[in-house]
Amino acid sequence: MVVPYFNSAVVYASLFAFMAIGLTLTYLTTKVPNFAYGSFVTIGLYTSYTMWKINGIAPYYASAVAFLLAGLSSAIMYLVVLRPLARRGSSLVSLMIATFGVDFGFVGIFGIYTDYLRNRYNLNDTKQFFQLQADFNLGEVPGIVYVAPAALTLIALLLYLLLTRTKFGVAMRASVENPSLAKVLGINVERVYVVSWILAGGFAGMAGAFYTLWLPGGTSTGSDLIVEIFASSILGGLTSIFGAILGGLVIGGSEIVVGTNLTTGFGAIGAAALGVLLLLVSVYLWRLKKGRARIVGVAGIVLGAYVFLEAASGLSLDPLVSGLVGGFGVEAIAYQKAVPLLIMVAALIVMPKGLVSINWRKLLRRERKK
Amino acid sequence: MALPQAVFFGVDLVKFGIDFVNFYALYFAISLTLNLEAGYTGIPNFGKVLYVAGGAAVAGSLSGRLAAYVYGINTHGDYVTFNAQIITQVNNLIASDPVFATELVLLSLLIAALIGAAFGYLSSYPAIRLREDYLGMLLLAVAQFFQIFLRGFVPLVGGTQTIQVPDPYVYFASLGIGFRDLVAAAVISVFAITVYFFAEKVAKSPLGRTMRAVRDNEDASRALGKDDASIRRKVLVVASAMAGMAGALVTFYYGSVGADTWTRFAWTFWPWLIVIIGGAANNAGIALGALFFTALFKGLAQIQVLLPPSVLSDPNYIVDIAFAALIVIVLLVRPEGILRERPTLTLPRRKLVMIARSSSTQLPPAEGDSSTREGGGKLGRLKSLLGRILKRRGSADSAR
Repeated sequence: MVVPYFNSAVVYASLFAFMAIGLTLTYLTTKVPNFAYGSFVTIGLYTSYTMWKINGIAPYYASAVAFLLAGLSSAIMYLVVLRPLARRGSSLVSLMIATFGVDFGFVGIFGIYTDYLRNRYNLNDTKQFFQLQADFNLGEVPGIVYVAPAALTLIALLLYLLLTRTKFGVAMRASVENPSLAKVLGINVERVYVVSWILAGGFAGMAGAFYTLWLPGGTSTGSDLIVEIFASSILGGLTSIFGAILGGLVIGGSEIVVGTNLTTGFGAIGAAALGVLLLLVSVYLWRLKKGRARIVGVAGIVLGAYVFLEAASGLSLDPLVSGLVGGFGVEAIAYQKAVPLLIMVAALIVMPKGLVSINWRKLLRRERKK
Repeated sequence: MALPQAVFFGVDLVKFGIDFVNFYALYFAISLTLNLEAGYTGIPNFGKVLYVAGGAAVAGSLSGRLAAYVYGINTHGDYVTFNAQIITQVNNLIASDPVFATELVLLSLLIAALIGAAFGYLSSYPAIRLREDYLGMLLLAVAQFFQIFLRGFVPLVGGTQTIQVPDPYVYFASLGIGFRDLVAAAVISVFAITVYFFAEKVAKSPLGRTMRAVRDNEDASRALGKDDASIRRKVLVVASAMAGMAGALVTFYYGSVGADTWTRFAWTFWPWLIVIIGGAANNAGIALGALFFTALFKGLAQIQVLLPPSVLSDPNYIVDIAFAALIVIVLLVRPEGILRERPTLTLPRRKLVMIARSSSTQLPPAEGDSSTREGGGKLGRLKSLLGRILKRRGSADSAR
């Protein structure tokens, strides 16, 4: 393999793409950010855990069951909580707080379920378990490294076909674009919404099942993942399914690449390259000719030049540059979630409509004209 | 010496009462700050835990270091590892040094307020620019990251293992069992009452009415010359500073601080639950909502103690599910909460009645309408307009 963390980046990127598709689907249909979304991932996690520990069924098969279970929970949540509230004319904030409450309820259900598992089957790791040793190996590489991206590609292809080639897909797009007009045309908008919620929960569940093959899990895993899931979805624009896939890939990949390099170090060349990157971004900010952007730009230019010069000369005088070159140590792994968070903040400031909203061709042409 | 006991069905009512007041006052204060943001100004703060935890972590971590420094206790250069020994020594010294204990609490409160205010100022940057849903997601994600950060960053509060905090109430612990918590309850209650009067004062002030105007119609308030961005920023800074102070009081009451205390359920969701139950934009409603929540929470906890221990599962989880169901039901059945929002009177009711009597022939055109005020000028006209907007909104609500 090219770099040691390549596998990790591939799996992470694929899983977050899965989760981002689901969150985007729910946002598209009901226009509510679903704070309980992480819990659907946890449902997948525990479906996989239970089936492997008790029945010895590999998570790949469990992912289908996880899809169904999480999809069903998602549909129930929509039908029992969100639809009645929306019909009552609740405000957006009320709907958001309701999904927050449902997440709390889910955590309670997981608590009861894990207690039950522990007592019934004498398992002592139900609250917090290690990566499941259930994967096959292909050469030196674990199977999930192939399966996760393959499944993502398949799902993306199927979604594309569904949305563009089937009547139901066209109805789905119509209901998202203009629900009242779709209703007039005789489309059962409610059914479309329920199906989107089933799909959304299902993708989260599936991602959760795959997740157990790569990383340790627990009752709060889904809640912690919410940072990356939101970041992926927002980077994708929150309204585009294929944007969400792109967002998930970028977030998952960059979190691993940057996070791992922060612990082991970028090397002198890498650190120098980072300095140059910072320099370029700062020059761009400086050229915006806005008061505050200019100050940030000047600060960035100074810092970028400093990092570049120090890293290139191999001096490493201070903890920042020597950390970048030689790594900040294992403790830095705890902060790798800062990467998705920072990307999310940057995306909200620079391109609130997401990656897909940018007209790259136009941007390039404009830059060339300058 | 010990506090009197009043045992009732195996529950010590005095101990229960002190515990109840502590919990109530804490959540009352935090919910009031959330109400200032979400209820009055319409900032959906789904990251409340961030400000509370920020104040708590920094105050909890710094107060111990400061005390160790002042007393000249050897920290061996590693405060976290030797934390238990250091705090034991500090507590022994503090027990006979009430002046320093008070100073320590006040200084920690100040630091916590500054941290909270700084976080509030930073989050006002997105709060001014983003739509409700994006803002909610961002604040939730930032708060979640902060908890992950606390778990990972050992020097601050010891990561996953908690660190102890100097106990400023330690003198009262020597008086007898229960006295320490009684004093803590008194301190937190004074804080909560102060926050309540502050929130009421703000809500009834011209600023409070402008906050509501910004919430209800940003464009209209802007057209009237109100700077909505600066109002949002002010509210976030002030409310977050108070939330940070509440966080510092929590750490002193618990005597320890760690990362896993600061879940988004306990410090974001519960205050929201209280605001929704009690009634958004109604401080008296928040008092009732917090009372209802505390009674339910502590009552259920007591019932659990009385019940035989369940072999099947921890009953706390059932309480979680019950609260989840509760908020959905409240939102469905009575979304305005126990006490609904009312138009504020620009003058005390007594004065309004007096004006009405003195103008002999007719009653003022509308309750809460300040056009009766003599020589209102530009401000008076604005107030009367706002009053009318609020009144119309109120009547539209009741018509529905």
